[in-house]
Amino acid sequence: MIKIQNLVKRYGELVALDHLNLEIEEGEIFGLLGPNGSGKTTAISCLLALLKYDKGTVEVFNKAMMPDNYAAKKQIGVVLQNVAVFEEMNVRENIDYFCGLYVNNAKERKKLVEEAIRFVGLEDYTRMRPKQLSGGLLRRLNIACGIAHQPRLIIMDEPTVAVDPQSRNKILEGIMELNRRGATVIYTSHYMDEVEQICSRIAIIDHGRCIAQGTKEELKSMIKTGEKITIEGVLLKEENLAEIRQLPHVFEIAYEDQQLVVRCSGAKHNLVRVLNYLQEHDIAFGRVFSELPTLNDVFLEITGKELRD
Amino acid sequence: MLHLIKYRFICTIRDRVSMFWSMVFPLMLVTVFFFAFSNIGKGNLDTIPVAVVNEENSEEADMFCDFLKELEKDDSKMVKIEELSEEKAVKKLKENEVFGVFYAKETPTLTVASQGIEESVLQSLLDSYNRNAETMRTVAKEHPQGISSAAQALSDYKEIVTETAIDGKSVSGVMQYYLALIAMACLYGCFLGFTTAIELQANLSSLAIRRSITPTHRLKLVFADLLVTFVVHFINLMILLVYMQFVLKIDLGGNTGGTILVCAIGALIGVAMGIFVGSCGTKREGLKIGIMLAVSMICCFLAGLMQAQVKNIVEQYCPVINRINPAALITDALYCMSVYNNPQRYARDLIILAVLAVACGLGAFLMVRRERYDSI
Repeated sequence: MIKIQNLVKRYGELVALDHLNLEIEEGEIFGLLGPNGSGKTTAISCLLALLKYDKGTVEVFNKAMMPDNYAAKKQIGVVLQNVAVFEEMNVRENIDYFCGLYVNNAKERKKLVEEAIRFVGLEDYTRMRPKQLSGGLLRRLNIACGIAHQPRLIIMDEPTVAVDPQSRNKILEGIMELNRRGATVIYTSHYMDEVEQICSRIAIIDHGRCIAQGTKEELKSMIKTGEKITIEGVLLKEENLAEIRQLPHVFEIAYEDQQLVVRCSGAKHNLVRVLNYLQEHDIAFGRVFSELPTLNDVFLEITGKELRD
Repeated sequence: MLHLIKYRFICTIRDRVSMFWSMVFPLMLVTVFFFAFSNIGKGNLDTIPVAVVNEENSEEADMFCDFLKELEKDDSKMVKIEELSEEKAVKKLKENEVFGVFYAKETPTLTVASQGIEESVLQSLLDSYNRNAETMRTVAKEHPQGISSAAQALSDYKEIVTETAIDGKSVSGVMQYYLALIAMACLYGCFLGFTTAIELQANLSSLAIRRSITPTHRLKLVFADLLVTFVVHFINLMILLVYMQFVLKIDLGGNTGGTILVCAIGALIGVAMGIFVGSCGTKREGLKIGIMLAVSMICCFLAGLMQAQVKNIVEQYCPVINRINPAALITDALYCMSVYNNPQRYARDLIILAVLAVACGLGAFLMVRRERYDSI
C-alpha cells in the first residue's frame, strides 16, 4: 500500500531522513516509533507530499505520491500532532468543514459527520467552540476531523500527546476499531507502550534511519535480552556482582542505589537462579520484578540510549 | 465551492481580532473624529471686542486697520473694532471691555490682559497678518477690491481651510481626515488577508497543513479564501461609508459610485497586502502583524490621517511617494472626485491603484499557491 524507498531529506547540514525505507501493507496498524526529533513527522510530511525531499521515492496506493495526486489524497485521513481546527467554528461545523473537503454530497456528508461525532463521543459538545473543550475532548475533535470521511489510510502523528489517561485509552480503542473496520493506520509515537499495545508492525526510527522493523515479537527477538530482572533494596559487594555475572545466561548487570538489574538472554529459570544465589549467600533483598523485553530495550540495545530520551 | 465559501465566511466574520481592526476600529475612529471636529467651523465664538490704536498714521498702519475693518464687516462677525487713543484703549482693556489692544504700526502688535480663547484668536489673527503682510500690501495696491477676500483667506484662526472647486462644490479641511480614514480602513483589510495567509500556508500553521493534504484543489481553496476575504472587507467598507453618510451625516461629495469603486480597489489592496506579508517567510506572527501595522500606519500618516498637511508636504518635496502610496492614492482619488471634479486625475489614481492591487494580489497568489515546502 505504501512504499518509501531511500528517502533522503536534508535541512541544510542536518540530515532529517537518511535513506529511509518502509513498506506498509493494507490492513495493518503500522507504528513509527522513535524519540523526538528522530524524523517521524518529516517522514509523514514527505509521505503526504507536503515536503520537498532530496532523494528517494514515495508510493501510495501503488502510485507516486505528488501534491496533485488527488485520488490518493481522497483516501487518506490525517490526524496531526498539533490540534488543527478552526477556533471560530463549533465542533459540528469543524467536522463538517473538513469532511466537506473530501465528500461533496451534502446528504452523505451529514451521515458521515454524525457517525464521526458518535465515534469520538462528542455528541454532547457539538455546539461548543474548540476553546470551550478540555484537552482530551479537543484531541478527539482533532481525530474526528481527520477520519470523518472514512478514509482507507489513516495517518496519526502523535495523537495522544498531552492527553489524560482516560482520553488516551478512548483514542487507542478508537484506532483499533477503525482498523477493525478496514482502515490501514500509520501511527507515530514516542510512547513505546502505546505502539506495543496497538501496532501489528513497528519501525523504529532514529536520526532519520529505520534501525529495525517487524512485529514486536520479531523486534524483541533481534536483541539479546530475553528477561530483565530487577531487585530492589539489595546490598552487594564487588565479589557478589562478579559471581552473579557468572550465572548462566546473564550477560549484563547494573547495580546502583541498592538496585540490581540483571539482563539475561532468553532462557528458563533465570529468576530462580538469581534468587537462589542471594539466599545461599544470606543476602537480604526487597521487591523483585521480572520483565520481558520492551521496545525500549530493543532501542537501548540497538542505539545504546533510552527511547525516552 | 459553496461549502468552502460558506465556512470561510463564517470563520472570517467570527474572527474577532481581524474584524475589530477591519470594521470596528475604523467605525470607532470616525466617531471620535466626528465629535472632535464637530465644534470646529461652527463659528460659535462670540464677536470679540478689540481696541485699535493708530497713532503712527503710516501706510502700513492704515493697511492693518483696513484689514481689521474688513474682518469686522465679514459675515462671521469675528471682531468688533474700536479706534481709540492708547490711554483709552488701555483703560478699556483693564476694565475688560475689550479683549486686546492692537497697535497699528509698521509691524503691528497686540496687548492682552489675560489668556483665553478670544486672546488666542486675536494673536492668531495678528500672526497671520504679519506672516502675510507682503501679500496684503500687494493686494491692497493692485486689487484693493479684493482686500476683503484676502483678509478672509488669511485669517486662519480656525486652522481650517475652505476650498472651492470649479463646479462650486466645497469641502472643509476636516474632509481630508475623513478621506484618509477611509484609506486606512481599506488598508486594514490586511488583517483579514493575514489570517487567510496563515490558514493557507502549510509552513505557517497546522490548520493549513490539514487543508493542504485534502483532495480539494489548491487553487479552489485559495480562490474561495481570497473571494470571501475581499467581499467581507468590502462590506466592512460599505458599512463605514453608510455610517459616515447616513448616521454621522458627513458629506463625502455625493459621487457614490466613484467612492464605491475606489473602496473596492482599496479593499483588494488591503487584503492582498495582508496575504503577502503573512506569507513572507516563517517569522513570528507578532512580528509580521507589527510590520503590517507599521506599513499601513506610515502609508496613512503620509496620506494625512494624523496631520492633513503632511500629504501636501510630501507632494511638494517627494511627489513620487504620493504616486505609489496606496493610502495617498485612495485619499486623492476620493478627494479629486468629490471636490476637484477632476476625472483625469481620478482615473490616474484609479489606474495606479489597480496596478498596485494587481501587483499585490499576484504576489500574494504566488506566495499561497505553493503546494510543497522546503520545511514545515
